[in-house]
Parts: sequence; structure tokens; C-alpha cells
Amino acid sequence: MKVTYIHHYPYRHLPEDFASRYEESVVTNPYFELVDPKLVHEDLRSALDEAMYAARAGFDAVALTEHGQSSYDMNPNPDLGAAALAYATELEGIETGIYTVGRSLGKSREPLRVAEEQAWLDCLSGGRLISGFPVGLAYDANVNAGVPPIETRARYDENFELILRAWTERDPFPFNGRFSQYPSVNIWPRPMQSPHPPVSVTGTGNPNTTRFSLQRDLGFNLVVLGVAAPNTAQRIFDDMWRMADELEVDDNPYRAAYAQSVVVAETDAEAERLYAKHVEYSMSRGVGHIPMHRFALPGGISPQGLRALLGQAMSAPTAQTAPTYRELVESGAVIAGSPATVRERLADQAHSFRIGQLLANLQIGSMPTELTRYNIDLFSTEVLPHLRGIWSEYDRDNRWWPERLGGRPVSTKQADLTGARLK
Amino acid sequence: MTTTSPNQAPAGEQVVATWNNRIRLRFEIRGSGPALVYLHPAGGLFWDEFLTRLTQHYTVYAPVFPGISPDDTFAIHQLDDIFDVVLAYEQALRSLGLENVPVVGQSFGGMLAAELSACFPKLFSKVALLDPAGLWNQEHPWSLEFISGPPERLPALLFKDPTAEGPRAMFPPPSGPEEALDQAVTGIWTLGCMAKFLWPIPDRGLAKRLHRIIAPTLIMWGEDDQLIPAAYAQEFGRLIPHSRVELVPDCGHIPQVEATDHTYTTVTDFLADGYATSPAPRAQSERV
Repeated sequence: MKVTYIHHYPYRHLPEDFASRYEESVVTNPYFELVDPKLVHEDLRSALDEAMYAARAGFDAVALTEHGQSSYDMNPNPDLGAAALAYATELEGIETGIYTVGRSLGKSREPLRVAEEQAWLDCLSGGRLISGFPVGLAYDANVNAGVPPIETRARYDENFELILRAWTERDPFPFNGRFSQYPSVNIWPRPMQSPHPPVSVTGTGNPNTTRFSLQRDLGFNLVVLGVAAPNTAQRIFDDMWRMADELEVDDNPYRAAYAQSVVVAETDAEAERLYAKHVEYSMSRGVGHIPMHRFALPGGISPQGLRALLGQAMSAPTAQTAPTYRELVESGAVIAGSPATVRERLADQAHSFRIGQLLANLQIGSMPTELTRYNIDLFSTEVLPHLRGIWSEYDRDNRWWPERLGGRPVSTKQADLTGARLK
Repeated sequence: MTTTSPNQAPAGEQVVATWNNRIRLRFEIRGSGPALVYLHPAGGLFWDEFLTRLTQHYTVYAPVFPGISPDDTFAIHQLDDIFDVVLAYEQALRSLGLENVPVVGQSFGGMLAAELSACFPKLFSKVALLDPAGLWNQEHPWSLEFISGPPERLPALLFKDPTAEGPRAMFPPPSGPEEALDQAVTGIWTLGCMAKFLWPIPDRGLAKRLHRIIAPTLIMWGEDDQLIPAAYAQEFGRLIPHSRVELVPDCGHIPQVEATDHTYTTVTDFLADGYATSPAPRAQSERV
């Protein structure tokens, strides 16, 4: 199993009454009213420090997300942090992957720049880049970046094709897209990995995204939020493996990754004492404090998809208050406790979801950097070694990991221009 | 392609192939008398009291925007921008013989009526714009919150008094869960289709084109419009040569619903000819 350290870049000092004073942690939350610039500096510095700390502790990769105009993740472009981490890990000779889980292509208005930045990162890191191309959350793609919701997925498809062509075509080519046009595409540098870095897509449950990942042999990252996350994830992975069978795609677990918040302490009780308030911060002041209309905008989801989603929502209305630490731990939305508890839960999950990749989120909400390091320490020494051997029978065919780090070359399906589209 | 003389068109509906057969534009047709084109707002087509009263004197042709009919949702993907829409509509109207006829457009439909008149100045004999979209400037910013915001805020954005009878009739309670789901799916997708031509700032350069409108134009605006500020009424008036501005007191974004009598009377008087319009006094009108 490959275990990646992932975290947001949150502002960790929002006031306690944030939820009652402000509608949301994105788009409208007032910056100058809420922020001390010195603390922003400190938080960004801490986030990179913690990622380096995790890299030194032996994680297989360090990952970055992308969310614009948000206080729960001050990370408008993951390539920025990835550049710093690529260089620092080179300097220290750390053999870890640089995983930009979020470089949203439904959002990007400069797809050629994405191709260039990612190729540059791959060269700088010596072929350690893993490229994640999610669609982008509605508030980010449609509100922050101003893309009409009904065009998000079409833009994704076009940008995806351009980037894969820009990486792999030997000769300069003109690109006449609907959303961007370039008379001569010939980026310098091209990626170091051949044919190109492994590519993944992130889904939140839309079956079209899952199907696209299988048809194009892309890595598939699943992110789901809320108390019901484990049940939802189980259903989505079950559907994924059923779909793989229907499409006659192999069931190699390495194609699947799940983002999981994990907090470890000496005992279960100690975990609650140390982490509860920071997890609850994330729920009431962070990613948990985003209204539903920021995740789904008219036009972004087809009528058929709407019917399915709204049908579910109407039969199971969502809770109006933020869940507590205990509720999250009880449901498994947050895996928390002693090393033994956490090991067991993560191993069970790896098998029941059939995932070969874990995206372990170890910094949550307002967790200060010392506590984050403590969590990384315990996880990397007491948990990580016990997860490594899971799915080892598939290690020789991990096409979703850089060759330099033990992976196999990616499938030619990833860059196949005649291949399936996201739609 | 079916061609029918507008004066003989039966009540009901007619589907017109347009845009090189990529769009089948459905017209709902009601009433009797001379033809009138009605272009609906971003929420879709509702035969409210204003429209129903118009059908007593006119044959109202109301095209339903491509993509929002539940049986043809993919049609929206055939139209990339507002000029595709204008060309597809013009061709459809022409094929029905609907030329030199009056048009009434509400909000998004008002923007579309203005675009059509600016691009094809002889298409419409008279133009009535009710709180039209299409202009935007920094002094009076307005947003697409009616699409991007929480749905429960919608009534207050649309109406001065959302509790009045007319506004409440716009949001009828569903008869059961099935209908609630149908309403939600259709409502959300409709806004999504229309958003394509408004997003993210509802300005496609109409201000540059309004001077081309030669038809007499009536601009009506709810004084208390919370969605598109009434300041834009004067701006439309300033930019359209033969135009007149009528502000509607105690009224929000949809005068035809919130001030039905006033709107009906003003629009039908305007359409009934003899209605003097003159170039707006440019020197006196301030730029909004």
C-alpha cells in the first residue's frame, strides 16, 4: 500500500464565533476582518514544514490540494507548494512522491500553463511527480474562476486532452479548442517521466468520474465529507469495482485512493483530549462550514444526475449543525485513537474499500504544528509500517506511481486521444 | 421545416427546426389576434395572468429556451454563446413568418429581445423590455445570486412582497415527493441552461449594440427591483434611440406578476400604436 501525507493549508486562528458570524469559510468570508498577516505567514510556513517532516518520516508521497478564496485551504495553486517541496526533498535526498492531488482542470483558464508547471515540477523532482487533475468544486470553478457551471466538465475534457498532448507529442502542434487556442504548442521542459507522470482524477461520487478513471486507466481519488462518509465511500468503491468488472478493467487496488482524516495518540481517550477541538474547528469553521449551494450550482450536474442526487438528499435530509468529534469518530469519518485502534481501522478500510493508496490527512483545522508533528510521528512509527504490506501482491504492477519510486510506466490509455471523456 | 402564417396559427405548440437542424425550438402558442412574441425569463415560461390577458388580444408565440424542455435537455450544448442564441432564434422566428411583429421580453428574455432587435433591427415592430438583463456597470453592480445563492433567498430577490398572491402563485407547493423532485430538477437545470449566457458577470457587450435598435421601445422597471437595480432603466433608455422608460412603483423584478394591471395596461397601450416615443433626452439623462 502507498501512503501519502496530505493536508490543507488552513488559516488556523479563526474566532470561536466564526460559524455564527459568517455564513461560510469560502468566497465571502472577509479577509482583513479575520486575519493577522503574520499568522498567515506562520500557517503557510508550518504547512510546508509539516509536509517536509512527513517526507522525512517516510511517507510515500506528500500531497497538495487546490482551493481558491477559502480560509480552510489557502492553496490557490498546488504547484507553488509542490515546487518548494520538490526542491527541498531533492536537497535532502528524500525519495518521496510529489503529489498534486488538486490541479483543477474544470477551473483552469490557462491549461497550457498547467502542462508547463507540472512538467517543470516533474523535471525538478527528478521524475517524482504524480499529477492529480480533479474537476474542481463548484464554488471554486464557477464562482472563484467564473466558469459557467454547464461548461465545467466540457472544459475539463478539453484541458485534459491539451495537457496530455502537450506532454507527449514530439512535434509542435496547433490547438484549436473551444475554450483555448494556441498556434504552436511545444512546451519546455516536457515531463521527465516517460511517457508522462501518472495521472489521477478525484471524484466525490459522480459515477461519470469513476467510469472515466477506469476507462482511461487513471488513478481515482475519492473524497467524501460528513458523518456518513464511510458508508458513502463504501457504496462508491463497491460501484467502482462493479463498474471495473463490467468494463473488463483489472481490479488492481492501486488504482484507488481514499482521503482519510487520521489522528493518533497514546490512547483513545488521549486522542479525544488532544484532537477533538481541532477536528470540531474544521467542522464549524473550516471545510464543514460550506453551504450546500457552494458544492452544486445549476448547470453543473445534468438533469439525470440531479434526479439521482436530489432523490437521495430528499430522502435523507442533512443535519443542520456541525457534527461533534465523537460522532465523526464513531462513524469512522475521522479515524482516531491509539496506534492499535488506528492500525486496525485503516487495515479494515483498505480491504473493504479495496484501496491501494491512502491519502492520510494528519493536520486538521486548527491543529498547531507541534501537535501535527506528534501525529505524524506516531502515525509514521506505529501505523504506517503495518499498512505497507497490504496489497503487496500487486506491487509489481502499480501503474499509478512514478517508476523512480517503484512504480511501473503508466498505461498508454491515459494519453489516448481517442479515449473516453469525462463529460 | 413547418411554416405557418402567424395570423392563422392554432393555439398549442409548434416545433421549429433551426440552427442547421441542431435545435428544435418549441413555441407555445396561445390566444388569437395579431402575433406577439414573448421571451421568457431565466426561470422558464409561466403562463401567468399578464400573459393570459395578452392572449385575449394577441396570438402569443412563446419559444421555450433550448435545453429546458425535459425531453430535450441536451439541446443546450448546441449553443455556445449569445450570438448562437440570437442566430438560432432569428432563423426560427423568420421560418414561422414572425417578422415585423412586437416582442415582449422579461429579464433574460428582455436581454434576448434587445439583442435580437439590435442584430436584426427590422425583426420586431415594437419592443417592450421588462426589467431586462444585459447591462452591467461598476456603479450599480448586480449579481447572479438568484442562480448561485441559496434557493430560499430567491423569492425576496424577485419580489418586493413575496407573500402577495401573484408571487406565491409562481412557487406552487408540489402535490407530492414525485412532483417536488420533478420541479427541483427542472427548475435547477433551467437556471443552469440560462446561466450559460449570463455567467459570471451578465454583460455580453449589449451596451455597444443597443444603438442599432430602430423599433419603438418601452422599458418598464420595478422601482424596487432587488435583482437588477432600477438605475439600469435610464441606461437602457439612454442607449436605445426611440425609447421610453416607465418605472413601476412598489414593485420588484417581475412587474408582470407584481403589478399586473399597470404592466398590462402600459404594454398594451404601447403596442396599440399611437404611442409616441422619442429619442431619450441624452443631455439630461445621467449615466448610471
